[in-house]
Amino acid sequence: MALFKAEKKAPKGPAGRWDVLVAEDMCKACGFCLQVCPVDVFAWRSTANKLGWLPMIVAHEENCVGCMLCYQICPDFCIAVTVKAGLEEGAAR
Amino acid sequence: MSEPAARLIAPWTEWERRHTKGRRLLEAGTFALTEGAIAAGCRVFAGYPITPATDIAEYMSKRLPQVGGYYMQAEDELAGMHMCAGASLGGLKAMTATSGPGYTLMHDAYGWAITNEIPLVVVDAMRVGPISGITGAPGQGEFYIARYASHGGNFETIVLSPSSVQEAFWLTIDAFNLAERFGTPVTILTDQVVSDMWEDLFIPDDYTELDFVVPRKANLTMPFFPVGSDAIDVPPNIIGRGTGVCVSAYTHTEEGYDIEEMEAQWAQTHRLINKIRHHRSELTRYETVGTDDADVVAVAYGADARTVKTAVLEARARGLRAGFVRPITLWPFLDELFAADRHYVVCELNYDGQLVREVMRAAPDSRKVHFMGKSAELHTVSEVVAALEGVAQTGRIPELPYIWTEVR
Amino acid sequence: MNPLAKKYLRPSQIPTKACHGCGIGMIENWLLQAIDELGLKQEDVVFGTGIGCVGRQTFATWGGDNFGATHGRALAVATGVKLAQPERRILVVVGDGDAASIGTSHLIHAARRNLGVTVICEDNMGYESTGGQFSPTTPAGYVTNSSPYGMVEPSFDPCDVVKAAGATFVAETTATQWHQTVKVVKKALQNEGFSFVHVRFPCNENFGAYALGTRDTLKNLEWIYEHTQGRKADGSATDFTWETGIKHDASNSRPEFTRLLRDMNARVQADLAKKTAAKA
Repeated sequence: MALFKAEKKAPKGPAGRWDVLVAEDMCKACGFCLQVCPVDVFAWRSTANKLGWLPMIVAHEENCVGCMLCYQICPDFCIAVTVKAGLEEGAAR
Repeated sequence: MSEPAARLIAPWTEWERRHTKGRRLLEAGTFALTEGAIAAGCRVFAGYPITPATDIAEYMSKRLPQVGGYYMQAEDELAGMHMCAGASLGGLKAMTATSGPGYTLMHDAYGWAITNEIPLVVVDAMRVGPISGITGAPGQGEFYIARYASHGGNFETIVLSPSSVQEAFWLTIDAFNLAERFGTPVTILTDQVVSDMWEDLFIPDDYTELDFVVPRKANLTMPFFPVGSDAIDVPPNIIGRGTGVCVSAYTHTEEGYDIEEMEAQWAQTHRLINKIRHHRSELTRYETVGTDDADVVAVAYGADARTVKTAVLEARARGLRAGFVRPITLWPFLDELFAADRHYVVCELNYDGQLVREVMRAAPDSRKVHFMGKSAELHTVSEVVAALEGVAQTGRIPELPYIWTEVR
Repeated sequence: MNPLAKKYLRPSQIPTKACHGCGIGMIENWLLQAIDELGLKQEDVVFGTGIGCVGRQTFATWGGDNFGATHGRALAVATGVKLAQPERRILVVVGDGDAASIGTSHLIHAARRNLGVTVICEDNMGYESTGGQFSPTTPAGYVTNSSPYGMVEPSFDPCDVVKAAGATFVAETTATQWHQTVKVVKKALQNEGFSFVHVRFPCNENFGAYALGTRDTLKNLEWIYEHTQGRKADGSATDFTWETGIKHDASNSRPEFTRLLRDMNARVQADLAKKTAAKA
């Protein structure tokens, strides 16, 4: 049993109700969020950030199902995942 | 010969004159040190029992609950000193008391308190070394260690030494005041004799009436560490009031977090050293007898000064122009007491020579500074008289049993 | 950025000095969640730490009052702070060096006294700040910077030590147990006495390099995950498994240390008042 699943699949639950933000200048490119995300929200940026790392960016925010794994696993306080404005948390699930 | 002029420069001469309502007791130095601390507002003692300072711990365990304070018997001296630092950071005046073996263990915490400008009082009741040495005899082997009470350099320290039970009472209050004003730990160097001997002691009845006690204030705003400034009377920082202060072991910024830059080290050191050096006049305490016209001056501090002073008076009575210098402030060292070009006989309770080296450095002619080292017993009046007369007549201390005269 | 970081941390100190993929930041995120869920404000909590990776990388990140003690002595300083500021929650975040090696004496006595602090021992199983030497929690036989032939010293679990010393709350989690850690830290903070939470986390740069043969952040976190679950990705057993969970919960079952002192003071002063009144 692995922590980071190689195969991504769409879990049950509506996508597209979440705002995902990455503070790109705080990212140290550990890769955890990219690997733990089950629905491919993240991708690598091709240009370096202020710290000298190639950081993570939010590539497909519309895929996000609000599982919060990325938020929990980021070691550098970069990630914020919040319900899109105008939606209640219950409605988004 | 006329009566030799006697001088005592210390703030408590005035305190004693103004505060005369109290009681007279026959008590030990440890009792006086404890009551002095309580009178100064000390409300935390954290330490580990060690001869000859143990009685302070016992008295504190009794007295502190009576005044709403806390006695902590720490698991070791290292913990004790850190607990005192934490308590002082939390807003309570704190003190610890130990002897040489425990003082050595406190150096990590001492440096932490210095760098973070935490007011503390540390009593080191010295005994004979090295290490446990002779537990029941007076020594003066931590003269330099008290100046260099932590590693790394880039700091000054304040060290005081009383020579009587009464003086121990007032001097402890003075030590707390200096700790508050200078934002630093202050070491009180005593010894087994001053700690354990019983003498006449006057204690004021009402400690709340002691208007000369510097109260604990709290700094609630930036800068937490005014690096680059040499100001004293800066209120200490406080943890637990949500000011956001950072207190650490590293070279720090004004906010207190670590910064690894030469400019920051310069600014921090400028403060730690100059706040003491630039205010030496606030730190001058000493006693002299007959120095106005002396040809040969005996130098001693602490309990040893008692017999040495008697010897000077005896030598005077025998026709010798002898003088006596007792530094009460040991650090910053009072160079000015040794500015006159004459012979100095430095009596101290160690054989390796510590105080004598500072006198050699400060005096105009180090060849006229003579070392009279002794260990495990106070200097006797007769041997000091013999030394003074020997120096006056031949320029050398004569051969005396168990007296060390070599300094290398 | 993480909204709790905005709420509780010091902006000038993040991003932290931690290496990429280091577990310290993850755990700090979970600590903030626990603090936030308990409704605690920045001024309610005093953050204390020590030396080493866990010390250096967390110190000053907290926006409120914080102290970084000398190595191993965070609990001794915390004892003094608690005496003077008993109303504050004191969160002591230290590494395996600070807690299980140089500072174990203070850990034992703080637990014995039931001092009202919460200790988070973040364990990367070695002295990683100085390059990766072994520590008392390095698994037996592992190769480190100072055990090139394999660690010969037996290791121990600091949880056992504090439990024996009298801690009233003891728990263990790892860096792949985010929800459990938040829950456990909340419980720990709600114990008025001594709480100890032991969280094992990965170090890619040193432990990973020397003991596991890789600095790959994903592989290092997988290693933690495997040893938490007791099974590798291919289903085979791991060489050892960490026992996680709440190991001892006697929260609030005996008085907190400084409360004992304050109660004694009240008794002593009442007695004194009676004696003085009788004399008058």
